[in-house]
Amino acid sequence: MGRTSKDKRDVYYRLAKENGWRARSAFKLLQLDEEFHLFQGVTRAVDLCAAPGSWSQVLSQKIGGQGPGHVVAVDLQAMAPLPGVIQIQGDITQLSTAKEIIQHFEGCHADLVVCDGAPDVTGLHDVDEYMQAQLLLAALNIATHVLKPGGCFVAKIFRGRDVTLLYSQLRVFFSSVLCAKPRSSRNSSIEAFAVCRGYDPPEGFVADLTKPLLDHSYDSDFNQLDGPTRIIVPFVTCGDLSAYDSDRSYPLDLQDGSEYKYTPPTQPPISPPYQEACTLKKKGQLAKETRPQDCPISRVDVPSQPLTSPHHTLLAPEVKHNKPNCT
Amino acid sequence: MDALGDYVWPRATSELILLPVTGLECVGDRLLAGEGPDVLVYSLDFGGHLRMMMRVQNLLGHYLIHGFRVRPEPSRDLNSEAMVAVFGSKGLCIVKIGWGQSHYRELWRSGLWNMSDWIWDVRWLEGNIALALGHNSVLLYDPVVGCMLQDVPCTDRCTLSSACLIGDTWKELTVVAGAISNQLLVWYPAAALADGKPVAPDRRVSGHVGVIFSMSYLASKGLLATASEDRSVRIWKVGDLRVPGGRVQNIGHCFGHSARVWQVKLLENYLISAGEDCVCLVWSHEGEILQAFRGHQGRGIRALAAHERQAWVVTGGDDSGIRLWHLARCGYPGLGVSALGFKSPSRPGTLKAVTLAGSWRLLAVTDIGALYLYDLEVKCWEQLLEDKHFRSYCLLEAAPGPEGFGLCAMANGEGCVKVVPINTPAAAVDCALFPGKVHSLSWALRGFEELLLLASGPSGVMACLEISAAPSGKAIFVTERCRYLLPLSKQRWHTCSAFVPPGDFLVCGDRRGSVLLFPSRPGVHKDPRIGGEAEAEAGMLRGGGDTDGDSNAVAEWSPVSTLHSLHGKQGVTSVTCHAGYVYSTGRDGAYYQLFVRGGQLHPVLRQKTCRGMNWVAGLHVVPDGSMVILGFHANEFVVWSPRSHEKLHVVSCGGGHRSWAFSDTEAAMAFAYLKDGDVMLYQALGGCTRPHVILREGLHGREITCVKHVGAVTLGPDCEVPCLEQPDYLEPGSEGPGLTDIVITCSEDTTVCVLALPTTTGSAHALTAVCNHISSVRAMAVWGLGTPGGPHSPQPGLTANIVSAGGRAEMHCFNITVSPDPSTPSGLACHTMHLSSHRLDEYWDRQRNRHRMVKMDPETRYMSLAVCELDRPGVGPLVAAACSDGAVRLFLLQDSGRILQLFAETFHHERCVLKVHSFTHEAPNQRRWLFLCSAATDGSLAFWDLTTVLDRGSALLEPPAEPGLPYRLGTPCMTLQAHSCGVNSLHTLPTREGHHLVASGSEDGSLHVFVLVVETPEPEEAVDEPELVPQLHVLEEYSVPCAHAAHVTGLKILSPSLMVSASIDQRLTFWRLGHGEPTFVNSTVYHVADVADMDCWPVSPAFGHRCALGGQGLEVYNWYD
Repeated sequence: MGRTSKDKRDVYYRLAKENGWRARSAFKLLQLDEEFHLFQGVTRAVDLCAAPGSWSQVLSQKIGGQGPGHVVAVDLQAMAPLPGVIQIQGDITQLSTAKEIIQHFEGCHADLVVCDGAPDVTGLHDVDEYMQAQLLLAALNIATHVLKPGGCFVAKIFRGRDVTLLYSQLRVFFSSVLCAKPRSSRNSSIEAFAVCRGYDPPEGFVADLTKPLLDHSYDSDFNQLDGPTRIIVPFVTCGDLSAYDSDRSYPLDLQDGSEYKYTPPTQPPISPPYQEACTLKKKGQLAKETRPQDCPISRVDVPSQPLTSPHHTLLAPEVKHNKPNCT
Repeated sequence: MDALGDYVWPRATSELILLPVTGLECVGDRLLAGEGPDVLVYSLDFGGHLRMMMRVQNLLGHYLIHGFRVRPEPSRDLNSEAMVAVFGSKGLCIVKIGWGQSHYRELWRSGLWNMSDWIWDVRWLEGNIALALGHNSVLLYDPVVGCMLQDVPCTDRCTLSSACLIGDTWKELTVVAGAISNQLLVWYPAAALADGKPVAPDRRVSGHVGVIFSMSYLASKGLLATASEDRSVRIWKVGDLRVPGGRVQNIGHCFGHSARVWQVKLLENYLISAGEDCVCLVWSHEGEILQAFRGHQGRGIRALAAHERQAWVVTGGDDSGIRLWHLARCGYPGLGVSALGFKSPSRPGTLKAVTLAGSWRLLAVTDIGALYLYDLEVKCWEQLLEDKHFRSYCLLEAAPGPEGFGLCAMANGEGCVKVVPINTPAAAVDCALFPGKVHSLSWALRGFEELLLLASGPSGVMACLEISAAPSGKAIFVTERCRYLLPLSKQRWHTCSAFVPPGDFLVCGDRRGSVLLFPSRPGVHKDPRIGGEAEAEAGMLRGGGDTDGDSNAVAEWSPVSTLHSLHGKQGVTSVTCHAGYVYSTGRDGAYYQLFVRGGQLHPVLRQKTCRGMNWVAGLHVVPDGSMVILGFHANEFVVWSPRSHEKLHVVSCGGGHRSWAFSDTEAAMAFAYLKDGDVMLYQALGGCTRPHVILREGLHGREITCVKHVGAVTLGPDCEVPCLEQPDYLEPGSEGPGLTDIVITCSEDTTVCVLALPTTTGSAHALTAVCNHISSVRAMAVWGLGTPGGPHSPQPGLTANIVSAGGRAEMHCFNITVSPDPSTPSGLACHTMHLSSHRLDEYWDRQRNRHRMVKMDPETRYMSLAVCELDRPGVGPLVAAACSDGAVRLFLLQDSGRILQLFAETFHHERCVLKVHSFTHEAPNQRRWLFLCSAATDGSLAFWDLTTVLDRGSALLEPPAEPGLPYRLGTPCMTLQAHSCGVNSLHTLPTREGHHLVASGSEDGSLHVFVLVVETPEPEEAVDEPELVPQLHVLEEYSVPCAHAAHVTGLKILSPSLMVSASIDQRLTFWRLGHGEPTFVNSTVYHVADVADMDCWPVSPAFGHRCALGGQGLEVYNWYD
């Protein structure tokens, strides 16, 4: 298969590398903007769970023209620096992080908060969906601190079993909630983006980061578990049809006539959790089971016997009945 | 409102669930397993056999079980009943199970208590329950009434990835929480000054560089173990955690897993860990690996339980399999490698070859032509003979059969073969066979009647020697029976041989990778079954050339059947006959199942072995009838079991290029090889069987991508087998006729699985797995359903042809035959035969310098398949494939599936095509029209009139002359923009009015339903108008925008008034049709995540419909019509 197979399987992965984006997800934000004009009139934007930084790249390119300090990127992980983006390596569940963001905006609130974060999926769907929901709610919680009324919030969602509970939670805070899927996001993926516009917290709501926002539960009237009434927000497909199809497998020689050249990834991961284990594996230093047969070889031989023992030539005891009986 | 007003709509109920096993717990001699919302109770004390006793259904509603906590009973033991807290996601349920005197029943069940947050751990505190929740808070809960008694949060309300509760009372309750920041937080909920007042963490422990997935605390030794995303397990010395302020010290950092570690469990003397790499490791508390259990498939081991008294470990996998492993207390006795100490001043020369004659005698030959015997029981070397003609080059092979018949054969570089009776070496017989080197030597044994020795000489001549013994037993006779001629190749010699029962043929493998069939007694008698004179003539080649007059000339018989280069250039390594089939192994990393019919070899299936083992050296049938594969994996010799996917023996021998020998009896297995001038011997007691038990076979290692109903088999009363998994509480009268549905599933794990789903018991049996694909399998289609024996002499069972397709543009066609077999647990046996295969990029594998070129090919994936049955007799069906490179391709199957060729294609969609569906339009007094509907990622549907295309394309339906240039499909006869994005499901149904109902479901959660009208040209007008094609148009069109919250991946129109849809949002919804817009009827929440496909079929009027949903697991629903 080789290193080119991913370029063929996923045209946006290849285009991202060729255009210098740190991840293919940059196209998703660009296509969301095409549809919703997210960046119109935006001067202060926050990118939550920013690493590796492709959305920050888009933000800085689109609204960073008005001078530095208007795009703040927050992540728990380290991220390679980006021009025009202020980075905070911190936890979005901490009040100090919210204060730091406001401080960077000189006391003003943000116009736009985006979050493209996802947990490392475990493969157990219910756990992954829960973790993704908690990430979104944590992002929403910090957004209630930093977002100006009427502001916009865009976050990744997994459209699984309980996504309607998230919709109902978001509808509490925003006048308009839509589910959007850019064409650069694959059909086979359950990810989509909640585009929430018109931040309008309910009357009497006090933002409080010391308490996590818990997801809603099913109720018997408006959001039923298995009834006809569920809060399913309108779905919008973003990006025009002439764009590349993320599910289609393209040959390496694309039709625009450009010659294919392998491009290495723009930004390799910075200290991933598996780094030490991989280094050890490469050096062959992972612990191995001690098999008995790998133990020092035991010699079981007895002192050498007389070389020729003539007795056996005279006797043929057990061969008799074992011999093939040919006729 | 109308007549349908009081119509009873169907409602689906779950019948069978096969999901990842996410919870396991040993309770006394019982094992609890959580699968979805159900608890399976196994009995572990059933005379060494493990048996499922009962299924407690639907404890957790739509949640999945993640764990069990059994209430400790200080006064009573757990042998008669147990109170079990079952939890998962946000749900908690208490169930009391009675199991005294092997009578299993559910005694009591609490309500399903919903928490506000995820439950990470549960602990019984006297009568109440403590729960550790998702955002670092602890609840004290009354599980009987279902009310919260206390709620204490931590000051740090971060999201947790795991938690562990310690202590037996609320006062001493200790929380160890694994935070998203990779830290461990230790805190004490009882320290709260008031209810709801946050408690600050007592200690924060850092160490892991990834989140912590599992924790285990061993109070007796004061140890805590943690498993993490960083692929390591840490052992911490914590002392008594219930005492605040204690010191936490990391005493072990164990790297052994090659992926994330999901589960960890501390036992008194061991530490057990299991992870995403599907390996369960047994560590000492000092961090040494003592044992490794491998065998689960797919994405890891999710659950772990241990039975300390019995030294058992039970693991549950993502593949929904459950396995039981034995902890070795002090290693396997008698296991190991020993050097046999050949080197000695009294034994000059260096060893050249080694062989095993039976299980207790080993033979070795040196470069000075001396043959030695080593008795494994007496443990001493003894020289049998020395012959200077056999110096420097000498082959050595012991005869097969019990104790090798006491015979071995040697061959040298001068064409001489020596057959040696081991007990009487002086009676050895020499035969000068060839003018040059003997390249290879092998034996063939038929029962106890016929023993042949085959020797390959120069230019492909293979001599067949018949060995017989004098009645006295003191002499042997060697006579040359005949000579065979091998096909031309550079290295022209055979490598292995065996008799094909009953004994008319010999099957041989050669160095060129071909498998050959020779008559075992050529010319002696003409077997009428071979096919008469013509084939007997063909079998004779060179012998016939030497005119009949010269009767002394030795005839050289060519093979009557050849499978050329079956195993590739590296050669065939073994041939074995077992249970009516011939199995061949080769150095291409595969083994083939073949059969001989009418004097011809037919390949049945190619099977792959374990990953990385490219040198398959042999196949061995163990006493219990199952097979094991011998092979070389890098520098290791491996005995691998295809049944359990387990490496039974691993010997670091240095690789397969040395001389080696293997023998296996019920008592012991032996493997001998040469290394460092000595003979090494590996012996293992118990042979190639393992005490490990597969409690339940796994299904697929990865997501199921497609599920299809093939048909149903009715088992007669004599074939009915009592099903082990039959629940106790099933009423005896509810057993209907033995109707079993046959369903096929395919998966990203590259396999296709044939399942039997009996309608009566709600169980599932995997009949067989086909693993010919090199990449994921995404779609399947079925055609040619029939009964074994054909339409004229039907026999019970069913037969069907299946096309499967998936990644790497690969397509396979095979036949399955399911027939009753009372010896199997399901009462059914499935035989598979591979018919044909096709790959679009096949040309690439034939390119010479491909490692230096960049492959520009788009690596097409097939997304969906549809069989289009033609109405011309004898012309095999067309298979339409939706391709990821934007094409719809049509393949022509001929000769009942044995020929598969690309026929036509179109790039109309220019986007990834997701679905294809074929249907026919039949109207009275008109010809049958065949239509194909295709749908792509842009939400458009295209309808193709295949009948017209086929009429124009080729009257004879011959494949295009050049395989690379298929016919063009032209333009579609209708297109329709049904959705805004990808179409994930598609179905049609003819209506009574002669129209067609078409329904599609999309990624955006919408449904689109319309009535399609086909206007066919009047036959009278067709006289002078060649361009008469049917016209399609839409009559009624409806769209349901937010029908589901995610992709609609399954859709079936059951009747003109009822439709069922399934989506990734885990709802199975019924829709009412025919009265304007489709209206919601009801919906059921199911447990399979990421559902990729759904199939439903009517079973019987009394039973209603069955519906199978495939995704991350498999679930079967039924409903009454």
